[in-house]
Amino acid sequence: MRRGARAALLTGWLLALAGVGWMVSQRLHVSTDLRSFMPAPTTPDQRLLMEQVGEGPGSRLLLLSIGRSCASGNCSLHCSDSGIPAVACARGTEPSIAGAGRSDAQLAALSQGLAAALKNDKRYSQVLNGNFDLDALDASLLPYRYLLSPTLDTQPLDEAYLADQLQQRLDDLSSPAASLLKGLLPRDPTLEVLKLAELWAPAKSPELREGVWFSPQGEALLLVQTVAAGFDPGAQQQAIDGIRQAFAALPGSADARLELSGPGYFSVVVGAQTRHQADWIGRVSTVGFIALLLLAYRSFSSLLLSALPIASAALAGIAALTLAFPEVHGITLAFGFTLLGVAQEYPIRVLSHRRAGEDAVHSVRALWPLLLTAIASACIAYLAFYASGVNGLKQLAVFTIVGLLVAGFSTRYLLPHLLPRRVRDVADMHWLARARDVVDRLPRPRWIPVAVAVAIALMLALAPAPFWQNNLAALTPLPQALLQHDARLREALGAPDVRYLLVLQAPTEQGVLALSEQLQPRVDALLAQHAADALELPSRYLPTVALQRERQQKLPDRATLQHALDQALQGLPFRADLFHPFVDDVEAARALPPLTPTRYAQTPLGQRLAAMLVERDGHWLGLGTVSGVHDVAALRALGENTHGAVRLLDLKAASESLVVDYRTRILQALLVAAVLLVLTITFALRSLRRAWHVLAPMTLATFLVLAVERVAGIEISLFHLVALILAGGLGLHYALFFERDTGDPAEQRRTLHATLVCVLSALLVFGMLAWATIPVLRAIGLTVSLGVAFHFCLSILMAPHARQD
Amino acid sequence: MLDRPLVVSGELSWLGGDRLQRRVDHPQQETSTIADGEVTQQRAGKSPRHFSLKRAPQLQVLLDSFVALLSGDAARLQQAFEIRQGGDAGGAWTLTLVPRDARVAKTVASIRIDGYARESRCMHMQEADGDLAVDLLGPLAARMPAEPTREALQALCQSAP
Repeated sequence: MRRGARAALLTGWLLALAGVGWMVSQRLHVSTDLRSFMPAPTTPDQRLLMEQVGEGPGSRLLLLSIGRSCASGNCSLHCSDSGIPAVACARGTEPSIAGAGRSDAQLAALSQGLAAALKNDKRYSQVLNGNFDLDALDASLLPYRYLLSPTLDTQPLDEAYLADQLQQRLDDLSSPAASLLKGLLPRDPTLEVLKLAELWAPAKSPELREGVWFSPQGEALLLVQTVAAGFDPGAQQQAIDGIRQAFAALPGSADARLELSGPGYFSVVVGAQTRHQADWIGRVSTVGFIALLLLAYRSFSSLLLSALPIASAALAGIAALTLAFPEVHGITLAFGFTLLGVAQEYPIRVLSHRRAGEDAVHSVRALWPLLLTAIASACIAYLAFYASGVNGLKQLAVFTIVGLLVAGFSTRYLLPHLLPRRVRDVADMHWLARARDVVDRLPRPRWIPVAVAVAIALMLALAPAPFWQNNLAALTPLPQALLQHDARLREALGAPDVRYLLVLQAPTEQGVLALSEQLQPRVDALLAQHAADALELPSRYLPTVALQRERQQKLPDRATLQHALDQALQGLPFRADLFHPFVDDVEAARALPPLTPTRYAQTPLGQRLAAMLVERDGHWLGLGTVSGVHDVAALRALGENTHGAVRLLDLKAASESLVVDYRTRILQALLVAAVLLVLTITFALRSLRRAWHVLAPMTLATFLVLAVERVAGIEISLFHLVALILAGGLGLHYALFFERDTGDPAEQRRTLHATLVCVLSALLVFGMLAWATIPVLRAIGLTVSLGVAFHFCLSILMAPHARQD
Repeated sequence: MLDRPLVVSGELSWLGGDRLQRRVDHPQQETSTIADGEVTQQRAGKSPRHFSLKRAPQLQVLLDSFVALLSGDAARLQQAFEIRQGGDAGGAWTLTLVPRDARVAKTVASIRIDGYARESRCMHMQEADGDLAVDLLGPLAARMPAEPTREALQALCQSAP
């Protein structure tokens, strides 16, 4: 190809890449919500987990603490090795009382300021800081207090009760609490609003100082419920950023320290930590990879050009995803880029197989049948993933298949035209000739497959249980300091447990509330036995319509109430007309339509309730939150004889069962993929014996990795499986090329060279990953490294003997 | 709010620092303690009630003025209040304190302390909504009329001992 044509081709290719890149940047929506990568749930508990738990009341809670700044030097800052400043601002010895007092006031002011700033923000459905809030009930809903408060259940609004209450109010007026109650008095002499505020206050609330919650360590505490789901790190990041910005904008916040905790915060921290370490390792291994290729081919232009197929593959894969799916999952991209590592082999094969003086196009033509076999069999195998029906796996299949095809065809039809004409034939290198000799002289006894198979079986049998790792969280563990901090704040705030939910099920919303009302006495009894610190049921915030009507019936009419009030006021110094607003409110309450969750939803408390009441498949669920679980069995017993209407949901168990389902899907897909692979290879090589030489080492190596990891005590997770698939794809290449007998010793040497470069580069990249401290990265790194090593050794040892020269 | 004034008697004691105790003996036993920015109210036969001092501006004013006066801390008094002084040759004096904090002033308009020579005799707390609380201090406390009126108390406070 002439110079001008080459330049035109290169420009065209780069322009096309830029164009696709632009399209991708316009269309790509990366979803970070873990649930969209998960398979469709099958059991009711799994469905609840998927649909509600990320959004359930507990998982959307952020726990905030505002402490004294570490700048003053009386506290130490623990930083995790990831560079993310972790929590745990441990204060030194107690500061002087005066200092603490002034500082408490500052922290309380910050707490109030932050709560005020977040209250009107659409990203947060509830902000609590302990501030005793008389406005909890919306002003327009104030007359409803007589329907919401339990007072009327035991106590009619008669003369005796009113007289007693009014006497108490008179005492209140002479007490320091007067200013607190004075405004309330004319409208609410029986203080129903206060009774409701007490009813709705968290069951176990932290110490109040300066009017807001404080931890025993002297930090101001807040609870923020986000609108975003807890397992959506992207949305959680926004919510957390909003909190940090609001805090930074407060006067005096520079001297204080805001710390966060909770499931949403954890998902953000874990994501950032994993990305941080992956980026760091990625940079180091990229440098190593470039150095290796330069050493192998001694040509900058070859190196740069060989990056084009991979770049095209990645961009085309993402572009295909954006066309086929409205949202692309972050995990798809991460897994996809991992699996695309196979495509780096294509240009490497071309570079290694070039002969001196020969046109690159010719070299590729000779290689193409084998490359095409490798590409086609990988793509066909990935079709099984598409058929799995799991959205995340479907996306993965589309991305990988499109990527591999683009990488393969651009390596075949575009790359060779651009490669420099003058090259060094690697077959002439002396060390390579010697290495090939060594390889050729290796003994290749027929018993090797049998011996390896027996070893695998023995190792799998002896490996310590359990085989599978079902807890996905174990792969991205949180720093101990974060967990301790969370436990401390959760204890101090009495925040609900993230693991357990009490689920109430009924055909209607009112049915759920009625069930909740029925359950309340049993729950109270359990709490008295300390089975849990607190259990909050939906009816705590809203009684059933029936109960509200019952209370409404008990409200006296205007004349009766006025008479009772007049009698009660006898001998008391209150102004006669003072309680007009009270009489008006009671009259209004008699005519009110009972409060329903829909009507209630416009108020802050209604939102709290809305999080606890969900409709699904034509029936309603109530989600009771549990804090400080001590006796799981006792809580579970609440569900006995209810035929599933009441049950304790263990979110950990539900999520693990989901992982098991997911793995089953992957394993089924893998089985189908294996069958497809055998058929494709046999068809392509048109010989069962040759197919055996390709597939046997690949299969044995895959199981050998599994066996070695199991013997080492590693529990196999989804990430291990994906890594095994990548290693399998690489192993297929090694076996295919080693099996190929061209009868040309120089070509055999080139094959060895290409395979060595591929193996070394894969070992470099994934070996680095194997040193990562984050288990998920280590799982991928270790599995692929072991896989590459085993595949390489077995495909050499099980290759047919080269014909003697 | 009330037709007749509410009369209570008891003892107000300074516990040192920013701590005050208000004990009411009549008509109802009640003890309130202000300490560390929090008010604790204890009534016979009931569980104690806690609330922040910020929610009771009257108490904040009481604390500021009382502690400053008793400890002779003029600077603190100046800091919390705008001060007007008056007096006559006979030894009677009046100190009017207007809270500087606008939030406090919304509840407590002013405080007037009547005294004679070296002795404080009355403390009037004028609340913003028109209510008036009059504390008769020291020996005057025993002379609280059973059915007091503003005028009678006024005369009592300004009379020579």
